[in-house]
Amino acid sequence: MASATTLAAVGEVGKGFFHERTTQSCQAKPSHLFCWDWAREHIDRYGTPTLQQFELVAISVVLGFTVAFALALLAHRRRWLRPPLLAGTGVLYAVPSVAFFLLLLPITGRGRETAIIALSAYTLQIIYRNVTVGLGNVPESAKDAARGMGMTKRQILWRVELPLAIPEIIGGLRIATVSTVAIATLAVFAHAGGLGTQIYGEANLHFPTSIIIAGGIAMLMALTFDAILLTIQRFSTPWRRVRSS
Amino acid sequence: MPSDKLTESSAGASPVRYAGATKRYPGSAKAAVEELTLEVPAGEICVLVGPSGCGKTTAMRMVNRMVEISEGDILIGDRSVRDRSPAQLRREIGYVIQQVGLFPHRTIAENIVAVPQLLGWKKERAAARGAELLSLIGLDPDLANRYPAQLSGGQQQRVGVARALAADPLVMLMDEPFGAIDPISRERLQNEFLRLQAELRKTVLFVTHDIDEAIKMGDRIAIMREGGKVAQYATPAEVLMDPADEFVEDFVGADRALKRLALMRVADIDLWKAPLAYVGQPTAEVRAKLAEPGVEVPYPLLVDSERRPLGWLSERDLAGEQVPAQPDSPLGPLLDRDDIMRDALADLLQGEAQYAAVVDHEGRIDGVLSVEIISEFLKSPQAKTEEHSAVERPHG
Repeated sequence: MASATTLAAVGEVGKGFFHERTTQSCQAKPSHLFCWDWAREHIDRYGTPTLQQFELVAISVVLGFTVAFALALLAHRRRWLRPPLLAGTGVLYAVPSVAFFLLLLPITGRGRETAIIALSAYTLQIIYRNVTVGLGNVPESAKDAARGMGMTKRQILWRVELPLAIPEIIGGLRIATVSTVAIATLAVFAHAGGLGTQIYGEANLHFPTSIIIAGGIAMLMALTFDAILLTIQRFSTPWRRVRSS
Repeated sequence: MPSDKLTESSAGASPVRYAGATKRYPGSAKAAVEELTLEVPAGEICVLVGPSGCGKTTAMRMVNRMVEISEGDILIGDRSVRDRSPAQLRREIGYVIQQVGLFPHRTIAENIVAVPQLLGWKKERAAARGAELLSLIGLDPDLANRYPAQLSGGQQQRVGVARALAADPLVMLMDEPFGAIDPISRERLQNEFLRLQAELRKTVLFVTHDIDEAIKMGDRIAIMREGGKVAQYATPAEVLMDPADEFVEDFVGADRALKRLALMRVADIDLWKAPLAYVGQPTAEVRAKLAEPGVEVPYPLLVDSERRPLGWLSERDLAGEQVPAQPDSPLGPLLDRDDIMRDALADLLQGEAQYAAVVDHEGRIDGVLSVEIISEFLKSPQAKTEEHSAVERPHG
């Protein structure tokens, strides 16, 4: 990849970039870590990538959750499915992310679909495992009592097991979402846009301001998602807050 | 209001009949429960008791089909438990387990009305029923919106019992319900349940491995041995007085005469006469009373004009001309005619007293119970053989 011509090209783009984009103060010190003046001038270019990033994450997590949740419920009923499902989702999780995007390109083409498929695939393992663990942690006595009072299997699942598994389920969702925000910056390799477009520009090698802004937005996004999910978790499990009182 | 409550909470009970009910697990040669035939009359507590592995829990769980019957049948009233779906059947049967199994994510009130909810009761009706049960089990209404984790073990099991009673079941199944609770709370919960049962009159199948609990709780006891075979099915008194065989005798224990004390009340035994003394009475009269034949108590008991005991008089009290208003010795333990004999003995031993005054409902002196009387009773052949009329269940 790193042929002489591309390197030269990077250099050229870099120079042009500097001349065009940097203000006087930053020009004095090109290796300056963060240039406020530049950031103020160019902040509007992060709007669309941020929105794209948000969409990628939201769609992928919802999709991944739906599939993983369904798989977990299936495995809850049919025990024999557990090892193959755990292994299957584990293998998907183990594929290096850039490789995943590039491998999908010839099949699904460039664009958002490819990125979403890869990103959802990454969430499967974490969500699947957490739902399974959550369902497994439901006290046997509560299930026995539920059965003994005449709940059907479905009622036990929806009224007892799943509500009690909420902490683990949302816990899994939190980890999956935060890591998806990070991995989605690589969606640029599938030509799916996102904040990665502002990070992997080759000019940024010598001018880290854009990396810091885009990375900062991604971190902020991850923390916001996490805070929202944490709040949902708190409000949907009031019984867990009373333990200590 | 109270009459409304009664109609809601005592709609009825059905007899439970095991008709050759058998449970065989695949791959095991011996049946867990073999051809069990047993009838539990409506409104009675039948305790299934026996060593672990005797099949008592299996036998109980066959009633609500938590364990499916392999052969034979079980009838509730005249209906086989097999003629409706397990879920439907179970909604008609109260179910209490040792680990309580409250739903941690639901409030106490929500836990209690779980079965009415399954039955599709209207919200208001379920809520009213929940409040009623909360007061029935003597739980503070403020606890209604707490979560199970905020309650003590004893309180949780009270809620467990209330939840089982919520839809007014025909039959209650209780699997070692008080087994995981500390001894003091257990005793209280047992008494509370007996008090409830006196009012509700449910048909109860109660599993325990504790013979003392069986004697206390059961109208009838089925002592079971391996394979779910009933070694003896009788009232607690019969089991204690006349064990059917060596197995029952061993299981009941060598101290079965002592256990019978749990079935008697103080009023059931001949008490000593108390030599009474009234304030201001000439001491000479009192001394004369003490000398009467048949008076076993060495000291006179000071009573007020209503014959309510005030305390024991000592030699020093009798030194004067008249009986003083203040007795020298405190009263010590005071027993009630209706106290369970075993508890009375415990009071005597705890109070380090050889004897204690026994009073009636109005608090008037009835006689004196002594450790000696009890030990004489335990030594007498009647403790083991005679059909003692006194054995009324401590209901109410």
